[in-house]
Amino acid sequence: MLFVVIAFLGVSLFLYCLLGGADFGAGVLELFLGKSRQEAQRKIIDKAMGPVWEANHMWLILMVVILFMGFPAVYTRVSVNLHIPLTAMLVGIIARGCSFTFRHYDAVKGRSQRAYTAFFVFSSVWTPFCLGVVMGALVPGGIDPAARDYASAYVSPWLRPFPLALGLFTVCLFTFIAAVYLVGECPGDDGLRRSFARKARWASVASIVSGWIVFAGAHADGVPLLAEFLGFGWAFAFMTAATACFGVLWVALYRDWIWTARVMVGAQVALILAGWFQVQHPVLVRMPAGDLTFFNAHAPAATLNQLGGALLVGSVFILPALLWLFLVFKSEEGEEKPVVG
Amino acid sequence: MSDLLAARAQMALSLGFHIIFAAIGMAMPFLMAISHYRWIRTGRRVYLDLTKAWSRGVAIFFATGAVSGTALSFELGLLWPGFMEHAGAVIGMPFSWEGTAFFIEAIALGLFLYGWNRLKPWTHWAVGLVVGISGVLSGVFVVCANAWMNSPAGFDWVAATASTPGHAINIDPFRAMFNDAWKAQTLHMTISAFEATGFAVAGIHALLFLRRPSPFHREAFTIALAVGAIAAIAQPLSGDLLAKGTAERQPIKLAAMESHFETSARAPLLIGGIPDEKTGTVRYGLEIPGALSYLAHGDFNAEVKGLNDFPRENWPPVAPVHYAFQIMVGCGMILAGIGALGLFLLAFKRWRPLLYHRRYLVPCVLATPLGFIALEAGWTVTEVGRQPWIIYGVMRTAEAVTPMPGLVVPFLLFSAVYVFLTGVVTWLLWRHIATVEEKYPSAREGA
Ligand code: HDD
Ligand code: HEM
Ligand code: HEM
Repeated sequence: MLFVVIAFLGVSLFLYCLLGGADFGAGVLELFLGKSRQEAQRKIIDKAMGPVWEANHMWLILMVVILFMGFPAVYTRVSVNLHIPLTAMLVGIIARGCSFTFRHYDAVKGRSQRAYTAFFVFSSVWTPFCLGVVMGALVPGGIDPAARDYASAYVSPWLRPFPLALGLFTVCLFTFIAAVYLVGECPGDDGLRRSFARKARWASVASIVSGWIVFAGAHADGVPLLAEFLGFGWAFAFMTAATACFGVLWVALYRDWIWTARVMVGAQVALILAGWFQVQHPVLVRMPAGDLTFFNAHAPAATLNQLGGALLVGSVFILPALLWLFLVFKSEEGEEKPVVG
Repeated sequence: MSDLLAARAQMALSLGFHIIFAAIGMAMPFLMAISHYRWIRTGRRVYLDLTKAWSRGVAIFFATGAVSGTALSFELGLLWPGFMEHAGAVIGMPFSWEGTAFFIEAIALGLFLYGWNRLKPWTHWAVGLVVGISGVLSGVFVVCANAWMNSPAGFDWVAATASTPGHAINIDPFRAMFNDAWKAQTLHMTISAFEATGFAVAGIHALLFLRRPSPFHREAFTIALAVGAIAAIAQPLSGDLLAKGTAERQPIKLAAMESHFETSARAPLLIGGIPDEKTGTVRYGLEIPGALSYLAHGDFNAEVKGLNDFPRENWPPVAPVHYAFQIMVGCGMILAGIGALGLFLLAFKRWRPLLYHRRYLVPCVLATPLGFIALEAGWTVTEVGRQPWIIYGVMRTAEAVTPMPGLVVPFLLFSAVYVFLTGVVTWLLWRHIATVEEKYPSAREGA
């Protein structure tokens, strides 16, 4: 069952990055709407995210539940030493979910809309940045249970080059995912489509540049990321493939092959995570006096069996329901039922 | 403020905030399902308007509930790593089922809110019902986890020694989830969600109806009141069941609830009163002889253990638990009275017009917050009454708190966020209500 649980953890992370990431990225994109047709673009974003953001957000909850039930030692270690960035991320999550919903459901569409948008945009940048920082902090070995003073226990684990660089990369990548996705969400409006395609290209450039910053940050932090990749193993293969996807993507964006572009983005996220997994495996949290790994930090078998079972049974309900949700919103609205009296 | 106190305050704040949205998330879908059902059946405009107006309001509450719940699932670790390190593996089962229920709920909610004119009417209705069912299930699951903290089961605890920290062995997640307290506690909690939401909604619509009678507010009031009233009548019964269990499982909590210091047979039930922990006495209380013995053990002459039988360091704070219990029961009795009268008026065609009479509507307006006050008070009883334990009899709250110093900072941060959000949500609700007449024709017509 351990492997079932690990697989669900991986899949949840992937889907959160892809679906939740697209939601975050859409918020970032609102920073770059340009002067003309702001409202139209915002409408597209609203329409694309509205029905699905709560469901997309659930992948994060699922990850948390899997962590604290399946790998309680990891959950508690991370919560203790990364208290600060996690709290920062929570505030971002709260601000973003609320401002997005309030913007849509405020009964009066007046001046307050601008305040919601400001909160929404800011927290859409802030939250994935914090998420990247938290993920990045697991790698360089800065988390030290023996650390006693405040700075080395609660600040230096994450306030260092690699996590910060990863935070930046996460923001860029999510923006990129969103832009590619939104290209396909404005049928019949060439102007908007071209504008999102342009944003997608810029975001891809930003992702590549910030990707290199991640390598630089890793180097500065003593993480042998480059050496891993130059070792021409699996990690190298994944990374090369991810880069190759960029080529296909650019062509697809020029030619309007919407689904090709989307599949390519999904593949890229998967490849990046797979490369990451390859480099890290089986370590979950690197620590000076012994890492926490999939194999030494898991819960007892009784718990894992129960968790794995719940996840398997749950997916029988969840996956079809999710598919239905996505399908329904691709369909057209019908007629309203007539009113009698 | 000490770190432990800051952590407790932050947890209490976050849970106290979340539970309001959670209760609404559990009950509102059912209110909507009732009016939605009537819309599909009768085709009358008022029910369509009502369903739509409610669902727009509810969307705001749902989002706030979802994000505050997300915060909670992190805070369990951020504040109580010593607890989660051991409890995670034992009590993860209800949380993992809860995760599934949330997921279904979030999907169904998306389908419901955006599914008008996209789904077939009955499919749409069923989807709305799924929102409610999964909401109730998620509440039940999470309260199972809480019941386990009150009534730990499904593991053996190896006490800490000089070389190894305390830890759990022989973990049985199934027994942990279905512990002795789960049935009574989940039943009581679920009913309270319907009671609190029902009366709050009924009260708001009663006020609007008083200002301007319309079929819209009349139907809304009727549906919400009926649901709240049924719950209010059931609640004292389920509360009694729960109290009997508490007397068995946590006699010290029961003693604190009643400020019962000396063990005695034929123990009196205390109404009101100001307990003094130092001297172990109560001033100004009204005593009903034997009633506590009956409440706790079903026998007027049974012995009820008093606080003095327990070591002082295991006492919960007596006064807050006592006051909270009084408040909960007081509110519960008032609501049960209003509810019983309402159901009576509703049941007889001849009396029904009196339901919409000022004399009945005004008390309903005044009762708007009582259900939620009782809900918060009840949780105070449960949670403060469990102190100083985080896992009753196994682990102390002080052992579980995070070692990070300066916890007052996140506490103030979250306080600011929640105070701000409370303000905004209230304002949004008010704006929503203020535009109902303009948006929905059935709210304009005279009744
Ligand atoms: C609308 C809300 C509401 C109302 C009217 C009542 N309760 Fe309650 N009560 C709750 C809402 C609540 C709650 C917030 O939902 C609690 C906290 C934990 C739980 O499961 O339910 C609770 C806890 C709680 C406990 C603590 C159990 C424990 O921790 O072991 C007892 C003994 C009672 N209740 C008993 C009563 C009685 C005798 C009532 C008589 C009218 C009553 N409640 C009305
Ligand atoms: C939503 C309704 C709930 C409310 C309003 C509530 C309220 C509170 C309050 C007031 C405290 C502070 C007690 C004190 O320190 O004096 C507290 C603590 C706590 N609660 Fe709850 N609670 C709720 C449900 C839950 C549930 C469902 C769980 C777990 C599954 C839980 C877990 C905890 C924990 C871990 C603490 C901190 C440790 C402690 O103080 O004992 N609570 N809660
Ligand atoms: C430690 C305690 C708790 C944790 C960790 C927690 C966690 C969560 C999370 C993560 C969500 C968001 C789900 C979504 O995105 O839709 C949520 C919502 C919800 N919670 Fe809680 N919760 C806690 C306490 C409670 C309690 C005590 C109840 C009820 C008795 C409750 C009932 C609900 C319900 C019904 C929802 C869905 C409705 C809504 O979103 O408004 N929760 N909770």
